[in-house]
Amino acid sequence: MITGQGVTKTFRQRGGVLGAREVRALRGVDFTVGRGGAVSFIGESGCGKTTLGRIIAGLEGHDSGEITIDGVAMSSLRPRARRPYFRRIQLIHQDPYSALNPTRTVYQALLAPLALRAGQTGRTASWVDERAGELLGLVGLDPDYVLPRYPHQLSGGMRQRVVIARALTVDPEMLVADEAVSMIDVSLRLGILALLRDLRERLGVSVLFITHDVATARYIGDDGELYVIYRGQVVERGPVETIISAPVHPYTQALLSAIPVLHGLERPGEQPVAPTGTLEEDKPDAGCLFARRCPFATARCAAEVPALGRTGDIPQEHACFHPEARSVVAVPADRA
Amino acid sequence: MPSTPSDTRADNPPDTLGRGAPGVRISGLSVVYRTPAGELPAVRGIDLELPPGTITGVVGESGSGKSTLALSLLNAVQPPGRISAGSVEIDGLGDVVTLRGEELRRARGRHVGYVFQAAQNSLNPLKPVGKQLLDLGRSHGVADLRGLVREARDLLGRMGLDGARVLDSRQHELSGGMRQRVGIMFALVLNAHLVVLDEPTTALDMITQATILRIIREVHEERGLTTLVITHDLGVVAEVADRLAVMYGGRVVEQGPTRQVLGEPLHPYTRGLIQAIPRLVGDIGEARALPGRPPTLATIPAAGCVFRERCPLRTDVCVTQEPPEVAHGARLVACHAVEGGTGEDRAGAGNHGGQDGAGEPEGRAVTAGAREEQV
Repeated sequence: MITGQGVTKTFRQRGGVLGAREVRALRGVDFTVGRGGAVSFIGESGCGKTTLGRIIAGLEGHDSGEITIDGVAMSSLRPRARRPYFRRIQLIHQDPYSALNPTRTVYQALLAPLALRAGQTGRTASWVDERAGELLGLVGLDPDYVLPRYPHQLSGGMRQRVVIARALTVDPEMLVADEAVSMIDVSLRLGILALLRDLRERLGVSVLFITHDVATARYIGDDGELYVIYRGQVVERGPVETIISAPVHPYTQALLSAIPVLHGLERPGEQPVAPTGTLEEDKPDAGCLFARRCPFATARCAAEVPALGRTGDIPQEHACFHPEARSVVAVPADRA
Repeated sequence: MPSTPSDTRADNPPDTLGRGAPGVRISGLSVVYRTPAGELPAVRGIDLELPPGTITGVVGESGSGKSTLALSLLNAVQPPGRISAGSVEIDGLGDVVTLRGEELRRARGRHVGYVFQAAQNSLNPLKPVGKQLLDLGRSHGVADLRGLVREARDLLGRMGLDGARVLDSRQHELSGGMRQRVGIMFALVLNAHLVVLDEPTTALDMITQATILRIIREVHEERGLTTLVITHDLGVVAEVADRLAVMYGGRVVEQGPTRQVLGEPLHPYTRGLIQAIPRLVGDIGEARALPGRPPTLATIPAAGCVFRERCPLRTDVCVTQEPPEVAHGARLVACHAVEGGTGEDRAGAGNHGGQDGAGEPEGRAVTAGAREEQV
């Protein structure tokens, strides 16, 4: 189990025409990913979801707050001692084309981490070959076909499966999948999503899914939890299906309203919400971060900061003074 | 950017004023690429009409030939590729396949505006946008550069940006959504009335995507354009396009009014593709990935139906005979297994009906070279 409390991260850029600039990527984020669980972070680019994923995978430090892995606070350990913990968390990149070395065959790509693993666990060289085949089978590839091939000889979907197989070589507890299907052909995306769901069930591995496409988050598992992140802050959190069907935060509503409607198959939701202004014009930090783009903002929103929590009988957590469930997503069209 | 009032239209030849949206007729278009294995077709025997003033969406996965088709509208297929057969007739311009040199250069930009795939990264990173605009104007012999700048500022303003500020900015100072709008401005600023957008919203967020799609639709109507949108995303097409063409393995397998194609897909590939889209509502179990994978240039079957390897309705005839495009109401579908056909040929289909036979022989001629088949 991996938890975070009050995780913050600020990037500082020095120099440039305007002098030093600060980007507050994360402003105090709490999260919990249970064993075998599925958590999805959604939000626009620049909202901090990728930074959070990288921090969780141990590839990036954070400024304050605490990350706890299986009950051990990472701040209590020296950097070297943290490594075995973070090895349990493997990152799967968005781009399967650049994640694999083009001069190495799939066999070579799997060999290095497996040999390391064999050394750690006192296994023989024959185990390495056996395990390579086993892992490829697990991700739905034919080892005989794939092992001798170079990445350019495989389709995007096959490459992403190889990347997942490579991540599994170290027996991780959690996979962090950052936009893992956005570069995969549409007809093959569901296959990768189904694979992640399957790995959860068969290996008990948990999945942290980072995406801007909310619909894909449903396919990691119907027990999944959704975190909606806006400018480094979680603004709504709860079960995926609840948030899609009855979002209460206006930002979530704007995000869901923006998803294309398949006219002919679907008709638009009844209460779409359009944000005013754009992200880049949205600078001030006082009050609710979304207030300036929010069509429902009041004077209170500009002055006070709403905290993430539950109010009334709303099932999910939210950070809004005026939460109101709206039906914004498209619904199936009535057949003529 | 400073500018003073002056005669804005001095640079525009009179014949380009008040000109309406052009129609486009693509007939029997084939494009081949030279490879070590011989010349292989990326696009084969395409018949597609873009009626004046409409938005047509072309949807396909990687390797379907959709970008190659788009480049053909500019006669801009680069070696080792070449247009091997067919014509692209654009009203007021003629068959662009026969245009060469200076004629062709002039047509690009003035008649056909093109927003390139990854337009976010297609600007010169070293020059402010305004300087690049002036370069464009000079290379097209625009006399009134001030008028051009003013037009660019208006267009950017129309798309919700501060035009003067954007023209003073370099690429890295603009967000992805802003760059995309700059790309659209460049495509329209020379007053082109045929606009091709290749993957206009790829790599953009949902909210930014929704904004760009709305802008495309509005600008299309206000300026009276004929628009072609190339995308892998059916959602994008569903939002903006009046008509939809589905490409697979270099062929158009189904085309027709967007709502009809999405609401009642006929070709097994279209059906599979729609079923494979992760959706926000409905049963998760109903969605499923298409088995197999899209063909590449080297694996497109030389004979028979291009989709048969992944097709649940495959029969013997699919292996040997290429299915012709057959009219189903207002739609054209290329599938042996889809019942119905020419008998239903009505109203909307009439435009296309006559072209059915034309593309096919050419398609065959190109693929004559024997290719071993593999999955």
